[in-house]
Amino acid sequence: MAPVTLNSITKRWGTFVAVDSISLDIADGEFLVLLGPSGCGKSTTMRMVAGLDEPTSGEVLIGGKVVNDLPPGARDLAMVFQNYGLYPHMTIAQNIGYPLKVARVPKAERERRVREAAERVELAGLLDRKPSALSGGQRQRVALARAIVRTPQLFLMDEPLSNLDAKLRVSMRAQLKHLQRELGTTTIYVTHDQVEAMTMADRVAVMRDGRLQQVGAPLEIYNRPANAFVAGFLGNPSMNLIEVDVSDGRVRHPRFSIEARDVRLSGPAILGQRPEDMSVVNSGEGDFDGEVYTAELLGDSVLVTTRLGDELIAVKADKSISVSMGEKVGFRFGRSALHFFSRETGERIGE
Amino acid sequence: MTKRIRYPLLLCLQLVTATLVLLPFFWMFSVSLKPATEPFAIPAQLWPDNPTLENYILALRPEFQRYFLNSVIVCGATLLITIPLALLAAYSLSRFQFRLLSVFLGAVVLAQFFPAGAMIIPLYKIVRSANLLNTYLGLIIAYITVTLPVAIWMLRGFLLKVPKTLEEAAAVDGASPLRAFFDIVVPLARPGIIATSVFVLIVTWQEFLFALSFTSSKEMRTLPVGMNDYIGQYGIRYGELMASSVMISLPVIAIFFFLQRQFVAGLTAGAVKG
Ligand SMILES: Nc1ncnc2c1ncn2[C@@H]1O[C@H](COP(=O)(O)OP(=O)(O)O)[C@@H](O)[C@H]1O
Ligand SMILES: [Mg+2]
Repeated sequence: MAPVTLNSITKRWGTFVAVDSISLDIADGEFLVLLGPSGCGKSTTMRMVAGLDEPTSGEVLIGGKVVNDLPPGARDLAMVFQNYGLYPHMTIAQNIGYPLKVARVPKAERERRVREAAERVELAGLLDRKPSALSGGQRQRVALARAIVRTPQLFLMDEPLSNLDAKLRVSMRAQLKHLQRELGTTTIYVTHDQVEAMTMADRVAVMRDGRLQQVGAPLEIYNRPANAFVAGFLGNPSMNLIEVDVSDGRVRHPRFSIEARDVRLSGPAILGQRPEDMSVVNSGEGDFDGEVYTAELLGDSVLVTTRLGDELIAVKADKSISVSMGEKVGFRFGRSALHFFSRETGERIGE
Repeated sequence: MTKRIRYPLLLCLQLVTATLVLLPFFWMFSVSLKPATEPFAIPAQLWPDNPTLENYILALRPEFQRYFLNSVIVCGATLLITIPLALLAAYSLSRFQFRLLSVFLGAVVLAQFFPAGAMIIPLYKIVRSANLLNTYLGLIIAYITVTLPVAIWMLRGFLLKVPKTLEEAAAVDGASPLRAFFDIVVPLARPGIIATSVFVLIVTWQEFLFALSFTSSKEMRTLPVGMNDYIGQYGIRYGELMASSVMISLPVIAIFFFLQRQFVAGLTAGAVKG
């Protein structure tokens, strides 16, 4: 178990900057999720922690020690790869036991620990099979068993669930989170799936184009996104972002004008509001009227969308509401959950 | 064309091809079983009236055994040196990018277009100045100049197919690069190693020109050169010649038979990725 520190690490491929000066402190035992769209540098960041890629500049510290010059094997960490990285010519038992074999753990102890790890991830009956004879979910668990068999200081997981079908993903998510709690091992987990990030993380670090956007507890990021990108990336359906002008405590848009007295800014801005903070009301009673573009039943609610300028605005309404496409209704902003972002930089402004 | 016409047509074509390819082998076998009086009986007979093994007994002279031993030594040593060297070279060529990579790979292919006859004089001079004429080592080195580039080229195709992630997984699991190479890469490249080995064996086992040029004494001859013994100034002893031909072919045929699945799979895999 160990804290991890990234000290402005940068990775360049030629002139292309894949990871741009990222600094991050990860506490002992913490489950940190690196979240961001594909290609934003998550894997590269993780690979630098693992020692598979060398930072162009900056330091990686594990357990307070700079590990830049240590090979992956000497960093006392285990990694689960996106495509599992199982050795196809070895049995499941040999796969799980390989790190121990390399570390010259005596055979009897090795077998015992392999069995324990396999039991922990419910693989006990499959030890003699080859990886090719297993399903995706089982392979995933073998990769996990191989990671935990050594009880390393640090787990690294690169999109470990992305090759599983939706249902399995949900159950593996729970198992993984539970396992991590139980072992208390510091974990860095890479994903582009914001639901995974929200459900599993102690803290989320959102990345974009190689840069860190925001670090915080899932709810904190959800409630107070640091910029328009984070606001749009977290949450499904994502936050509505509307170009407005603010002056004299009013938010103006060609279609509406609402009071926002405690907003102390003026000039062009982006107004953000999550679909669940808006409501659908009778025509004429809301902040603006609009035709219903679509009304989709989500199960626990109805997602109503309408056109506002070039944008589609989404509103999560109570499932008892009945509106039909083309119908004219009113839309209302929830006054307590308005977000404002700079139009130039996208940074959060106000409050 | 409908299936009903196409199938018999293809079958006929295959039969014709097979006959063309196999007829010389059949003839070789048939002649090897004919008593000394029969090979040129007219009309020519496809199968001897009185098949006999006497040619085989005659062919298994001490010289033949010596040639056989020489062939095994030279081919075995060539194989045992070529494969590990080629494996390491192919590995680095498959994992590291460098500027002259395509030049090197192109040169390997280009070298295959040179007939052996064009290389023999410079090679002869090199072997001679190294004082290695008429030694196993001289012949082995000459063979390696031919087998090594092709083996590298073939093996590289296989090694490219071993996913890099597996080596990274091994590195994280604590294995050194060399350990990962032996534990992960080599086992996964096994079909390719087998295919390449068979290729090296076939090329060297039947090689004639180098073996003839670089050896002078009878004791150093390999099987293909040794066969010359039956071609004398006053006649050719066809029966014994064919009997020893059959015996020379047998090991290659046996190896190919047992490994053919891996060999064919290996060749195509190498071809696609090479
Ligand atoms: N070996 C490499 N050479 C050049 N560019 C690379 C290399 N590895 C990754 N990249 C680039 O770096 C960027 C970040 O990649 P990656 O870290 O894999 O993204 P993510 O995991 O967030 O999807 C991508 O644009 C990718 O194309
Ligand atoms: Mg990635």
